[in-house]
Amino acid sequence: MSKKDRASSTLELRGLSRHFGPVKALDGLDLVVAPGELVALLGPSGCGKTTALRIVAGLEVATSGDLMVNGTRYNDVGANARDMGMVFQSYSLFPNLNVSENIEYGLRARKIDSATRAKRVAKMLELVDLENKAKSFPHQLSGGQQQRVALARALAIEPRVLLLDEPLSALDAQVRGQIREEIRRIQLELGITTLFVTHDQEEAMTIADRVGVMSQGKLEQIDIPDVLYNHPATNFVASFVGVMNKIPSHLIDGHVEVFGKRLKAIRSEQGVGKAYALIRPESIKTKTNSTNPNAKVLTRSFLGASSNIVCQLSDGTIVQSLMTSSASGDLHPGSSVELEVAISEVLTTHD
Amino acid sequence: MRISSLQKWSIIIFASLLGFTLFILPVIASSIYSFQKPGGKGYSFTSYTWLLHQEGFFASMGTSLKLAVLAGILNISLMVPTMVYLNLKGQKFKSLVDFICILPLVIPVVSLAIGAQNAMPSFLQNSQYELVFFFVIIGLPFTYRTIDTSLQAISLKTLVEASRSLGASWIRTIIRVIVPAIRGGITGALFLTFALSIGEYTITSLLHWETFPTWTVVASQQNILGAIALSVFSFVGAIALLSIIALFSKKSARQVEVNE
Repeated sequence: MSKKDRASSTLELRGLSRHFGPVKALDGLDLVVAPGELVALLGPSGCGKTTALRIVAGLEVATSGDLMVNGTRYNDVGANARDMGMVFQSYSLFPNLNVSENIEYGLRARKIDSATRAKRVAKMLELVDLENKAKSFPHQLSGGQQQRVALARALAIEPRVLLLDEPLSALDAQVRGQIREEIRRIQLELGITTLFVTHDQEEAMTIADRVGVMSQGKLEQIDIPDVLYNHPATNFVASFVGVMNKIPSHLIDGHVEVFGKRLKAIRSEQGVGKAYALIRPESIKTKTNSTNPNAKVLTRSFLGASSNIVCQLSDGTIVQSLMTSSASGDLHPGSSVELEVAISEVLTTHD
Repeated sequence: MRISSLQKWSIIIFASLLGFTLFILPVIASSIYSFQKPGGKGYSFTSYTWLLHQEGFFASMGTSLKLAVLAGILNISLMVPTMVYLNLKGQKFKSLVDFICILPLVIPVVSLAIGAQNAMPSFLQNSQYELVFFFVIIGLPFTYRTIDTSLQAISLKTLVEASRSLGASWIRTIIRVIVPAIRGGITGALFLTFALSIGEYTITSLLHWETFPTWTVVASQQNILGAIALSVFSFVGAIALLSIIALFSKKSARQVEVNE
């Protein structure tokens, strides 16, 4: 099979479920990953994202539902016959084999001749930029290097699908960003269908074509990062992706009032009563020298171009406001400010 | 209480003297004695040459070595896949298997020998190779622990899953990934079984087979100097074996250190 056929695989999950007794680790997951697409599954621990990935890899069995690759049912294909490259969260390199031998492992299992193996290994080493470490052993490599080798090893078998199980979470922050960029570059270069599992929203948002947010075994929403952030489908997505202020208010006629401004409630449940408005920090403006202050500044965190201002309302609610650093220079802990909302429509929640 | 350097030295000297009198002195004495010419003055290799010319010396030693090697290999090939399975998927059976593996230590050897022999197929009962199975059984308590400990020291699950997802079969996974990763433990288990088998006397004697230990007993009754030469010979052999084990386990310990 040529590389092109492999790279253009479609991965389809149809109502995949995994039950452990009464616990539904995965509860009817439907997902189609298009050829060459990178989809990230994002969610808190225990949301079922890793279970989904392990079912795709064949390391766990689905209680019900189908797994399809290019239209073929894969449920009963053994893990070693699936042609899926996987990178694990913990370091998984074979300690007794050097870098080249690790990359070569899957090729040997496939009884590929030594000339082809050597060529493929050299190509993979170049891809992850580790040509000078070919003869090193795993324990001589840094964490980032080990995960790059693990990636090369998974890609060497020219898999139909690449599966990444939180491959960056064991690395320190600086290396994490670097390897993340590298994974994305290689994924785009090879055009390989990829499923990426993570609990880190920044990671998911920066690397993926589409992000699926999961909660309690179910997919809450799957879309491109912009839509997830700006138009969250559920309150869970709204509060899990990015920072969200939860400001107490009252719902009347499909509108809520926040800081004296009447806002249209999107997708509000029917009825009147106590509700919370969900507002992003960048949609809250802080006005100093106001004649009508409604909050006090608690802290100001300098983030570079922008600053994060944490304020407290008179009822004790904590509100975050993100503004340009140049405009927030005269804000100090203790100053009285007036908060304003810069949007006209808002998500609301009752709890 | 602070121990003064004088006290420290007197303790060291006392311990050394005790060790020397009770352990090293008898060994030296018997070594010297074993080199004495029978009935006369002067030293020679007479007792050792007598030993080598005794009927059955090489034959019984060959038998013992052969059976011990087979027992070691059989034990490892049985226990490595079993322990891998128990650690990966059979956690609930683990304590049961642990219990079964301890049994050979508590069951009286006589009942073990006679009872287990009756359970064997008749072609085995009539062959000295039945001893291999007994040696495997008496080695179980030791190999269980050794292999279990070394499997717990590696990230077994991830390594197995990585190997499987790369397309390797179970057999390839065990031979190429697990065995090299727990080489130290396997070497230890192998030598323990080997050493136990080489020195096993009771079962062999009860079932009327001749191995080196049973031959030793018979031969030592014929010639007192020869018997002493034999014990010195066995003693040196045992020390050599232990040194090899120590060497290998030190090597694997260093490996683990490097890996971490």
